[in-house]
Amino acid sequence: MPVLLEHLWYANVRTDLQTVYIALFANVANAAAIRNRIVAAASLRGEEGERERNEINFAFLDARPITSRLHISTAIYQALVAADQGSLRTKTVHSEILWTLNPSNNISESIKRFGISSTSTSLLVVHVCSPVNAGGPAPAEVAQRLRFIIRGDMVDLDAGLERVTDWDLVKKYYKLQTDPVISALSAKPDRSNREKERELVNELVVSAVAMKCVMS
Amino acid sequence: MDRLLEGAQVIQQGAEARVYKVSLHANAAPILLKHRFAKQYRHPTLDASLTKARVAGEARALMKCLKSGVRVPGIRMVDVENGCLGLEWVEGMSVRKVLGSGEEGEELEEVGVGRVSVGEFGIGLEMLMVLIGESIAQMHLFDIIHGDLTTSNMMLRRVSKPQPGSPPAEIVLIDFGLSFMSTLVEDKAVDLYVLERAFASTHPDSEPMFAKVLDAYAKRSGKAWEGVKRRLEDVRLRGRKRSMVG
Ligand SMILES: Nc1ncnc2c1ncn2[C@@H]1O[C@H](COP(=O)(O)OP(=O)(O)OP(=O)(O)O)[C@@H](O)[C@H]1O
Repeated sequence: MPVLLEHLWYANVRTDLQTVYIALFANVANAAAIRNRIVAAASLRGEEGERERNEINFAFLDARPITSRLHISTAIYQALVAADQGSLRTKTVHSEILWTLNPSNNISESIKRFGISSTSTSLLVVHVCSPVNAGGPAPAEVAQRLRFIIRGDMVDLDAGLERVTDWDLVKKYYKLQTDPVISALSAKPDRSNREKERELVNELVVSAVAMKCVMS
Repeated sequence: MDRLLEGAQVIQQGAEARVYKVSLHANAAPILLKHRFAKQYRHPTLDASLTKARVAGEARALMKCLKSGVRVPGIRMVDVENGCLGLEWVEGMSVRKVLGSGEEGEELEEVGVGRVSVGEFGIGLEMLMVLIGESIAQMHLFDIIHGDLTTSNMMLRRVSKPQPGSPPAEIVLIDFGLSFMSTLVEDKAVDLYVLERAFASTHPDSEPMFAKVLDAYAKRSGKAWEGVKRRLEDVRLRGRKRSMVG
């Protein structure tokens, strides 16, 4: 079986931020339940609350507005840098990933657009933690936890994203419809132009995410 | 930050910045990282805010180019606290190298058109000049001024999936550290003049080459060319006077 859970290692941040797991799920059947669980966990008290929050300690993203591996990993890196420097704009490094993806500074908008919704059918899940040799969870453990939470199929990140990206949604969120380069290409939507347009949209959103911290 | 730069390959050491080739995580594609290090001779607070402004300014200029159809490296990471800007790694060669005049200080007699390696990119010298002229025109049409146009600040790279009927190589403009926005023909003319001087000082027999650059610039600029052309003549005249006095 191919390794579907992505495992990234960052040497230049704090130990508890050095490992990042990414998984893409297609055909997700229980998004509404997951969302309810996330909402409920936030207000659970005591040890039970602690345990539940730990259990679902992931960034749960709707995969449709994500264009590529580079797009999500750019957001992850910027969130790691903010966490490492103690300059998070949101509560956790996980919510910071969502905030970084959204071009505006509105936190609840970033959750609405990039977070899981009750109708999501493809989910991108990210977990930031310590490396295994510093007490972090092993890949098998993370995969297992995810399978308990999500009813769906873990799929290859690159190939899966190619199927689920909603390019019109991306253009809307990043306000690209009116950009001269993009509108020139979408005016003549033959196959080679569509490919070029996607490449360009991907470049524009990756760059926008990378430089969000100096945009406002 | 330090751990990212530790052991990274240094591409260039400048007075303001050190440029590295690095990977952000293990197995990641390499990026170009420009680190504007702290300057001892400047007041720390002033230095920090200047550095932040430079990094932010360069990132914004690149974004503006990307949105305007000017080929530049994409942005991959920004860390203003540490003065770092990470850019797409451009697999190519600077036009300076392509034109064969190599490193500074190299004997001019040795260089000449004979050693042009532009053929390796599947285009001729003339097409190279056209590509240069077109990319500068595109940038100026959107009122972006580069501020430091030299043949070192242009890279030539192969197009990944060449379209039938379009050239197999493209120009990527780099180093927007001195760029700014302006609608003034003066600023555009000076941009061109700086490049003209750079051509003259590094490439023998540059006049016909630069004329091709301007031809392509004119074609792409349309109506805007007349004003820039007239101003460029003024700027040249001022330049000549200055060099006679100095
Ligand atoms: N995106 C890139 N991909 C690959 N190589 C690059 C890229 N950008 C720059 N380079 C290489 O690194 C060198 C230095 O880059 P750049 O000119 O941006 O830095 P700088 O420190 O501002 O330079 P300078 O001191 O000349 O102003 C360039 O001459 C080029 O050869």
